Amino acid sequence: MKKRFLAVILSLAVAAGCVACGGNDNAGGSDSPAQGEETGETSDQSGETSDQTGGSNTVVVAMGAGFSTVDPGYVYEKYPPLIVNACYENLFKFYSNDSAPEPCLAESYEFSEDNLTLTVKLKEGVTFASGNPMTSADVLFSINRCKNLQGNPAFIAETIESMEAPDDQTVVFHLTQADSAILSKLTYSSLAVLDSAVVKENGGTDAEDASTTDTAQAYLDTTSAGSGMYVMTSYIPDEEVVLEKNPNYWGEGTNVDKYIIKIQPDANTQMMTLSTGDIDVAMNMTDDTIAELADAQNVEIINAATKTVGFVMMNMNETYGGPVSDPKVQQAIRKALDYSGLQVICGEGTLTPYSLIQSGFMGSKGERPADYTNVEEAKALLAEAGYGDGLDVDLTVSDLDMEGILLTDLAQKIKDDLAQIGINVNIVSQPWAAGYGDAYRDGTLGFTVMYWGTDYNDPNVQLEFLPGGVVGLRAGWTADMNPELAAMYQETMSATDNDDRIAALEKIQDAAYEEGPFIMAVQAPAHIGYNTRLDGVAISDPYALDLTLINIK
Amino acid sequence: MIRSMKKMFKSNYLFTLGVMICLAWIIAAVLAPVIAPCDPIAQDLTLRLKAPSAGHPFGTDNFGRDIFSRVIYGGRYSLLAGCLTVVIAGCIGTFYGAVAGYVGGRTDNVMMRISEMILSFPSLILAMIINAVMGSNLFNTMFALVIVAWPTYARLMRSVVLSVKENEYVTASEALGASKIRILLKEVIPNSISSVLIMATTDIGNQILMFSTLSFLGLGSAPPTPEWGMMVSDGVDYFNKFWVAGFPGLAIFTMAVGANFIGDGLRDLLDPKLRKQF
Repeated sequence: MKKRFLAVILSLAVAAGCVACGGNDNAGGSDSPAQGEETGETSDQSGETSDQTGGSNTVVVAMGAGFSTVDPGYVYEKYPPLIVNACYENLFKFYSNDSAPEPCLAESYEFSEDNLTLTVKLKEGVTFASGNPMTSADVLFSINRCKNLQGNPAFIAETIESMEAPDDQTVVFHLTQADSAILSKLTYSSLAVLDSAVVKENGGTDAEDASTTDTAQAYLDTTSAGSGMYVMTSYIPDEEVVLEKNPNYWGEGTNVDKYIIKIQPDANTQMMTLSTGDIDVAMNMTDDTIAELADAQNVEIINAATKTVGFVMMNMNETYGGPVSDPKVQQAIRKALDYSGLQVICGEGTLTPYSLIQSGFMGSKGERPADYTNVEEAKALLAEAGYGDGLDVDLTVSDLDMEGILLTDLAQKIKDDLAQIGINVNIVSQPWAAGYGDAYRDGTLGFTVMYWGTDYNDPNVQLEFLPGGVVGLRAGWTADMNPELAAMYQETMSATDNDDRIAALEKIQDAAYEEGPFIMAVQAPAHIGYNTRLDGVAISDPYALDLTLINIK
Repeated sequence: MIRSMKKMFKSNYLFTLGVMICLAWIIAAVLAPVIAPCDPIAQDLTLRLKAPSAGHPFGTDNFGRDIFSRVIYGGRYSLLAGCLTVVIAGCIGTFYGAVAGYVGGRTDNVMMRISEMILSFPSLILAMIINAVMGSNLFNTMFALVIVAWPTYARLMRSVVLSVKENEYVTASEALGASKIRILLKEVIPNSISSVLIMATTDIGNQILMFSTLSFLGLGSAPPTPEWGMMVSDGVDYFNKFWVAGFPGLAIFTMAVGANFIGDGLRDLLDPKLRKQF
């Protein structure tokens, strides 16, 4: 009798555990407690089968970690924009990965003559998930809140000096300086338009002291308050996010009713669950794991270059750069590097940009020609510079990785390439935290290989590589070394017309094609695997993955 | 001694095996340029990640380098690091411990507290910190290993010296007016050294493991040096290409095991009190 009593207690405990945990795994499944009470395992299995059924309108996505909030006001890391983009909308949006920003909540926009004022007309008839209509007051609230929270993404609103709302459908931005990237900045997830009434009710404020008085983060981590296609119904940090279709969506939605987003960055786990159909999209595949899926019938793979770029830096200051500060040696190195070999090391999808602007950005001139490498020319240049007998140089490299590719791997390939022209490279590894980071920022590294991830999706981020720019100075490239190129910084910033911008950006790329301390070696690839039942899965630099473009076939 | 050595080879198979493994590695390391079929750092991207074959018995890595050649050359670094660390740490520890134990009193107290300070840190973490601060190369890695390893020798030596210095022959030397340094060098250390020697031989295996661990963590020589630990860490990214990490891992394993077998054998030979009872 005692034994049976114990058994009942135990089975109840197991069932309770399964019901509590199973709720997250179930794709809207039939999770009846009565079933669970009989045997704990059945309820778990029923959860799995409902995940696997191809007919359901639920899509499961596995993505990387590294963030602890999805409150748009604090969003800065790589993956939260995937969620914010589905639940909220901005004034502007990137509808494809290599285009210019297009109006989303905006109807039209206009720059003033001096480019210091931007007037945006809002779309009419847009409502939030709560049913409230979207007005200019919401836009002001959202952008001011992001600014005044003073979180990581506050820098994005730096060039916005003030805003005013002459009427419900108009927002006027006064800028601190001409800023041709302002439309791209307005697409940034942290400037998403919030339902100000709802957020204020839950402790939100856009006042100057918002960084201490705003308490809406807790609310915005449980649900969303935007006008997007989906509403966030649950967020368990480092585990799972659930999005459900917004019934009040003002526009036309897709046929996916529900997204379950698993925060599960391990490539091997993603590979296995993708091949069994437990997940539909795997965001963190690697070169090695995609090879495993080559034979899988139901899986499609996308290998595409991201805008994260690995570059070689040769200090222009002779004190630090030594021989590599010589422009002839720099050109010899540029000619000697085996770019296609570097692409092989980094994996499928890698490419080498034409010049300072990554391929995929508006105004980019695409890729560097495949036959650019020329060892004979490189040798001749080196001899011209007075190093006919070769030279020895230290290549400092940190312990960081670029989208999973170790910088030391790039360094080893560079060493091998430069050995062909008689440059003997001695790789010196120095951890980022133990000196490399400071030396890099102070511009005291002579010769290094580093990577650069873009803060926001606009070619203007690359202007920092110009002489006198933040990164340019790290290579000892001061504005007076090349005043003409340095002046392009301002010129590009004030070119708000798209054609003018493209012209300015192309001029920069041509000027830096064979000049300067930087060699843009590779754009790191990303590998996404997805189930063939989906349509519209694509790599997105601003949003990681644009859920609003995905449909079930 | 030589006779018992012969007896050892006959009766203690593990010792024989250990000697054979280590001899093989030493020969491979010394004759690496002759044995290795390829240049250990020559890249060939057309041969990336190829499975073991006749041309590349251990396969190739992600740069198309021949893993067999890299493993053969890698023995040089591991052997050098293991042996040199033990010799240097052993010498420092022996003298330090002998002085502390023989002089005694307050000097002993201060000296031993200093060595215990170092011992109280987790050794791997301490080695990593030293390496990270000084920059990582082969010399600094060995330096870090020595810093971590010597206090153990010092403690052992001190405890042996404490009993040895009570012997009559030490008292006799003192009575004859020999200087303290002379007694230390001629009487105390020679009569205490055997236990340190035993510990040193077993320790070589540990130091090789420790060195591989550090270079696995990126704190050894800079790439493309063919260090075993670093080669294993290269292979971690290629989960299903077993040969990239597998063969260097096997090399570390055999080397460490071989050194341990020899250490055990020597202990049986030199220290009758600890001799195995079977």
